Amino acid sequence: MMDPRYIRNFSIIAHIDHGKSTLADQLLLKTGTITQREFREQILDDLDVERERGITIKARAVAIHYDYQGHTYELNLVDTPGHVDFHYEVSRSLAACEGALLLVDAFQGVQAQTVANAYAAINSDLVIIPCVNKIDLPVVRTDEVLDEMHTVLGIDPDEVLHISGKSAIGIDDVFKALIERIPAPSGDASGPLKALVFDSKYDNYRGVVTYVRVREGRIAAGKKILFMKAGVSHEVLEVGQFRPHMVKCDELGPGQVGYIVAGIKDLSAVHVGDTVTEANRPAAQPLPGYKPPQQMVFCGMYPIEATDFEKLREELQKMGLNDASFSYLPETSDALGFGFRCGFLGMLHMEIIQQRLEKEAQIDLIQTAPNVTYELLMADGATQRVDNPQDVPNTGMIKEFREPIVRVNFIVPAANIGSIMQLCEDRRGTYKSTEYLGPTRAQIVYELPLAEVIYDMHDKLKSITRGYGTMDYEVIGFRAADLVKVDILVKGNRVDALATIMHRDQAERRGRGLCKRLKEEISKHQFEIPIQAAIGGRIIARETIQALRKNVTAKCYGGDVTRKRKLWAKQKEGKKRLKQFGQVEIPQKAFLSVLEVGDE
Amino acid sequence: MPLAHLRQPLAAYIHVPFCAHRCGYCDFTLVARRDDLIDGYLQALAIELGTLGEPRPVETLFFGGGTPTHLDANRLERLLKLVRRWFVPTGDFEFSVEANPAGLGDDKIEVLADHGVNRISLGVQSFDSAILQQLERDHDQPTVADVVTRLKRRFTNLSLDLIFGVPGQTLSLWRETLAQALALQPQHLSTYGLTFEKGTAFWSRRRKGTLAQVPDDLEYAMYAATMDNLAAAGFEQYELSNFARPGRACRHNEAYWAGVPYYGFGPGAARYLNGRRETNHRSVTTWLSRVREGRSPVGDSEQLSPEERAREALVLGLRRTAGIDRAAFQTATGFEVAALTAGRIARYVTDGLVKETDTALRLTREGRFVADSVIVDLL
Ligand SMILES: Nc1nc2c(ncn2[C@@H]2O[C@H](COP(=O)(O)OP(=O)(O)O)[C@@H](O)[C@H]2O)c(=O)[nH]1
Ligand code: SF4
Ligand SMILES: [Mg+2]
Repeated sequence: MMDPRYIRNFSIIAHIDHGKSTLADQLLLKTGTITQREFREQILDDLDVERERGITIKARAVAIHYDYQGHTYELNLVDTPGHVDFHYEVSRSLAACEGALLLVDAFQGVQAQTVANAYAAINSDLVIIPCVNKIDLPVVRTDEVLDEMHTVLGIDPDEVLHISGKSAIGIDDVFKALIERIPAPSGDASGPLKALVFDSKYDNYRGVVTYVRVREGRIAAGKKILFMKAGVSHEVLEVGQFRPHMVKCDELGPGQVGYIVAGIKDLSAVHVGDTVTEANRPAAQPLPGYKPPQQMVFCGMYPIEATDFEKLREELQKMGLNDASFSYLPETSDALGFGFRCGFLGMLHMEIIQQRLEKEAQIDLIQTAPNVTYELLMADGATQRVDNPQDVPNTGMIKEFREPIVRVNFIVPAANIGSIMQLCEDRRGTYKSTEYLGPTRAQIVYELPLAEVIYDMHDKLKSITRGYGTMDYEVIGFRAADLVKVDILVKGNRVDALATIMHRDQAERRGRGLCKRLKEEISKHQFEIPIQAAIGGRIIARETIQALRKNVTAKCYGGDVTRKRKLWAKQKEGKKRLKQFGQVEIPQKAFLSVLEVGDE
Repeated sequence: MPLAHLRQPLAAYIHVPFCAHRCGYCDFTLVARRDDLIDGYLQALAIELGTLGEPRPVETLFFGGGTPTHLDANRLERLLKLVRRWFVPTGDFEFSVEANPAGLGDDKIEVLADHGVNRISLGVQSFDSAILQQLERDHDQPTVADVVTRLKRRFTNLSLDLIFGVPGQTLSLWRETLAQALALQPQHLSTYGLTFEKGTAFWSRRRKGTLAQVPDDLEYAMYAATMDNLAAAGFEQYELSNFARPGRACRHNEAYWAGVPYYGFGPGAARYLNGRRETNHRSVTTWLSRVREGRSPVGDSEQLSPEERAREALVLGLRRTAGIDRAAFQTATGFEVAALTAGRIARYVTDGLVKETDTALRLTREGRFVADSVIVDLL
């Protein structure tokens, strides 16, 4: 067992692209944990999707050994995701640490997620080691960045390290600060075992691999352990650490971070936030654990081939084990058949899951437009959550229709303040405050309905600020609003999967936009197709897709045969992604078109 | 009887890639204002034909373009002689040449007839001067009438090509064009709805919004008028775009829809031999240099699987008014029609677009308007 005095547990937190993964790799490289060749590959981002998008989604833990003043220290790096959708995972990682390296890009300065992540670390009582990173860049604004860090986060410029993860500048200072500034973990090695489950994943060979941070006691192979919340016991087959690949060790003691393999095959047996203790000598109290994640964005996922339904269920189950922050429940739609209503932390989270399903599981999916979750105060005084617009009852039964509200923190160039405020006003925002970070940049705070934020606020912000603006948000509660459900009727039939909830003032405009979009997405059929938007029984917009009168290739002689056949084959391929609804074929894209009619 | 694609080829196509000018809608393999390439073309064609090794018997020969008659009488004669050396007429020989009215002098007509050509397909397109101008065609109604009169002195089998759905064309203008074509008493008519092909001037003009495609409804009405008026005049529609007096269907083109083999020579020419579809390189100069250097001029080729071949035969067969004869189809492809159509056409039958009987399968009149929609489901 490692003497806790020589253990340090830390995270690296930063706004996306400020160099978190690069620094993590540099620390591994410096300590010989990885090779020079591996260094280039952002070794911690081990999901395909992560690497493709250059973002870290899942928490990861790596044990690094570093010699300092005659002692070998074990530094456990718990990597954290950088995107707003994964706040939840950030706080999970932070709970396994005593300190955090806060990176700020020497050119870009303090950004929205810098602020959000720094506050998360402060709230978890972590020691923060602030760093200005990428000082090797040809153009830097180091002094202004130090000012910004001071203004927004109250960081003393003298405490800030000046480093570059990529060019390996100041890395020894980083190690020194980690060891000297972050407290060693405390915990009684002889007491009953208490280890926090902070993540888990499914491994095809070993079954469930549980990631733990030991608080008290020790854990070793052969011990019988009890998952306190789940109430199930298992025998430990192996314990080990990530360096960065799984490496077996004899035992894990207080302060250590590592994994347990206990031959658990049941996907749902391990809960993130659960406490692992000894079966024979259980702890009196479990650790505080985590608040369960709040899914705020929901969408339907339906296999295009009905026969893929069971396969989809299995894949969702697997995905759910690796990602406790996502939920799924079976549902049926008249239009789309059997599928699942899936809940996500945000839009990026949703895209990632969908991409992984299509890629790893090779299931072609139809995805309905995402919606936020709503809270209804019913006439009888009960409240109820609605995750699917289809489930909204008659207006007469609803006393109050409430939607989630987020506090959005923008950091933008001062020149763009006006446009951002206009955007927020258009989106039913409530102005809160403006604060200057320096002469050219400001932080603006608004409260906005989540529904107005998730779809395209980030893109809008990026285009208004030509890429220089950033944003972050947190859910602050539900608020009543004049919301209505808008149904879409295609050739007289209500297509449940196209129903959306929107503010009454926007209903007519958006309903019209939606009908127009659908008219573009649905191709002509042999008959006329009316498309209508309706609130209850009242039609608020209408478009008509004319019947297809003529669709015939005029010339088809010797030289045309191959070309035309290929052309037809392409059309046929395109039809595969259509869903037959009554007599009308609706393409998969149409179900998402609801999203694209925000402002026109 | 062997499967259709394994039968002996009895049709040959020769591509002649020269035109005075490239029309705005045309994406055929051709060069305009490059008459300097004609001699080289004739040389290269001789080399490519030489790959046949020995003269072959054919029932049909077809010169397409471009404009084969763009060649002067002298070179046209060289071309005819060259091709005739390699192909020996057999059976009821059909020899078609595509011609344009402009510049079709008597000297060329004589040469054509003297060398065995017995069918002329004349690119008239329209009789309306505004429409002809829109199509960038360099002839007018009196020229056409004159050319037809002169052609009739030597030919008894004349076909006229017409285009409908031209931007600016009205239904009555189209009816007028049909009437004028009938007045010339051809044996055969081909009518094509204008299509916008990638890479043409029309394609980019449509994208820029300076050229508007005629509405679907109008094109429908024009095609309907074509079927009605030509039927009334005694023409039988034997394919989606082709109409003929009894016994005058173009047998060469019928070979394409029957899935039997054919030879092809010249740039961009397609051939179908031993179940393999090949297309020569579409660039005239590339074809020229490849043939000259003794390299293969083939640009694209594909070998179809038996099922792909059968499905292709199915969709090509459906283009013919007679449709598909189940027994003959099975002999030709080795596949049962029912096996290929199972679960795919029921709704078209219900909607009255496809007619299914014990012995045959064909598009109805209504089905012809939307043939591609049906075809896509059968591939
Ligand atoms: N010049 C320079 N570029 C860096 C440095 N650290 C990271 N980068 C680059 O910044 C980008 C984002 O880095 P990454 O480590 O993926 O950031 P993350 O999103 O915080 O994990 C990549 O293109 C890196 O190569 C640095 O110290 N100096
Ligand atoms: S004359 Fe015919 S082949 Fe030549 S460019 Fe015009 S349409 Fe094309
Ligand atoms: Mg990263």
